Amino acid sequence: MQFRTFAPIRPQRVPAGQTIVRPALLLLLGVLWNTPPLRAQQVGNASADTDKQTIQTLLQRIERLEARVTQLEAARQTSTQPQAAGVSPTQAPALSTSSVEAEPRPEQEAEHTEPERMDMSKTLLRMRGFGDIAFHGSNQAGSTTSFSLGQLNLFVTSDISEKFKFLGEIVFEGGPDNIYGLTGGEINKFSVDLERYLLQYSHNDYFNLSVGRYHTAIGFYNTAYHHSTWFQTTTGRPLLFEFEDRGGLLPIHNVGVSATGRIPSGFLGLHYIAEIGNGRSSRTPLVTEPVQNEIDENTHKAFNLALFARPTAVQGLQLGFSAYRDRLTPLASPSVGETILAAHAVYQVPNFEWLNEALLIRHSPLGTARVFDTPAFYTQLSKRFGSYRPYFRYQYINASSSEPIFPDVRLRAGPSVGLRYDASEAVALKLQYDYTALRQQPATNALTLQLGFTF
Amino acid sequence: MIVAAAVLLLEVSPDAAVSAAGAPPQAESASEQSLAIIVNLSNPVDNLSLQDLRTVFLGERSHWPNGRRITLVMLEPGQPERKAVLRTIYHMNESDFSRHFLQGLFTGEVFVSPKTLANPVGVRKFVFNVPGAIGYVRAADVDGTVKVIRVDSHLPDDKDYSLRIQAHPAK
Repeated sequence: MQFRTFAPIRPQRVPAGQTIVRPALLLLLGVLWNTPPLRAQQVGNASADTDKQTIQTLLQRIERLEARVTQLEAARQTSTQPQAAGVSPTQAPALSTSSVEAEPRPEQEAEHTEPERMDMSKTLLRMRGFGDIAFHGSNQAGSTTSFSLGQLNLFVTSDISEKFKFLGEIVFEGGPDNIYGLTGGEINKFSVDLERYLLQYSHNDYFNLSVGRYHTAIGFYNTAYHHSTWFQTTTGRPLLFEFEDRGGLLPIHNVGVSATGRIPSGFLGLHYIAEIGNGRSSRTPLVTEPVQNEIDENTHKAFNLALFARPTAVQGLQLGFSAYRDRLTPLASPSVGETILAAHAVYQVPNFEWLNEALLIRHSPLGTARVFDTPAFYTQLSKRFGSYRPYFRYQYINASSSEPIFPDVRLRAGPSVGLRYDASEAVALKLQYDYTALRQQPATNALTLQLGFTF
Repeated sequence: MIVAAAVLLLEVSPDAAVSAAGAPPQAESASEQSLAIIVNLSNPVDNLSLQDLRTVFLGERSHWPNGRRITLVMLEPGQPERKAVLRTIYHMNESDFSRHFLQGLFTGEVFVSPKTLANPVGVRKFVFNVPGAIGYVRAADVDGTVKVIRVDSHLPDDKDYSLRIQAHPAK
């Protein structure tokens, strides 16, 4: 009676490789089934149900293993046939190409016709962490020499299916915030920001779609480094790519839709990025979140189009430009048209990098003839010598004192020099000196020692 | 638990049997030191330039012409085949390689990171089973279950074939 459970195993021709394995397993299962401890479990109905389920699971597993043995046997036979016929391994392509064109293998054909679905047996979530701890000081008024915890970034990805993927950046960072020159939040208190939150769809090389919160593809730096200082050569981002809540000028984050892909262009290696999103909030006084995660302050959407080339002739070279357009609607003042034009020329190989980016931010209050242009650029150069990488960066931002959106920025310009030491594959120690000239204020000198890492 | 152990043993034994019996003899020949780029039999691609191969291995291309997503399979660090691939295709060391894919995943440019397998038999089996897979093994380890693609129109036993394993790798 009890062996009825084994009925699903149908008598069939057993391949040569299975003759020992399968009877041995059946015998083993039979012996174990009749041992006292297992029999005792059959007293209660609940236990019997559990046993049946276990056996069913084991039988299913046996069937899968049998199928695998059959497959491996077939592979062995296939592998020995060409050698027996005197065909050298390198002659395989011609044979395989013709056989494929004639008739695909059943299992592969089944996979082709299988609908796009999530594999529930996989562990879907993967997490990677980034963090940094720094010791810094400067001669800026009110500044004290301090140890400080940088952003703790949990980078999360998940392969939902062959075409869909989730990507997120959950960042813990200390306050206070600095938005349009206004300070908000509490000093020394950490808060959580969901910096990226994207569902990605990869159709082919020419069309990929992302929906959610992303880093706007203005220029190069913003989409190359995101929220990890460990990836960056320097201790921090260039001023013009500083985050919105750290006094930055640009709409670094956006909530919307982004399409990316290659453009058939041969050796030019052209790519496009097209984005539409809520844009950046401009409402003042702004004490909370400048990224419009849920509600846009107007129905006008922000558009961004970027094109870049990676010529195959020069590995590591990338040239590109982008154009961003939005309408800002500050309270108690006319709407402001925002146009951001960016261009970059970047050369990056493992031992050397030269980053160059220039931007023009134009704010034009509607109903007036006035236009406020803010030019900005940076250049960054570094070369690796073993574990050491000295670097140099010069940056420049020049905003009008009457700029309607960020009147606090004004002039900021100056060099940074530093040395990065990679203590291991995952830990980098950086020492950086910054000199920043300001308009109608004393220049600042700052020194930062930073330990950046990934885990 | 005993049953589970028996099943686990059974699961391991076919692979072990194949790896023991199915591994081709290691004959010393010129072509043995060549590295064959292998793809699934259903892959329509027969030839790739070294530049295209590099873009595929870097994860800069995500799909084959037939629409299948490219899945790159690498051997574990330290193996001569992997060293040859890092040297001739990536022009990177292990550290740069890790960083490249980590950053690619971080930026979203790389959709899937490479799979890493322990031995050429595993690579062959993976490529056999996954329609979009691409990997590499010594030419002597190739069998009829996978398809060898030409690189710059050359096969591994051609004189001008560019992917070779260094007999005495520089230390």
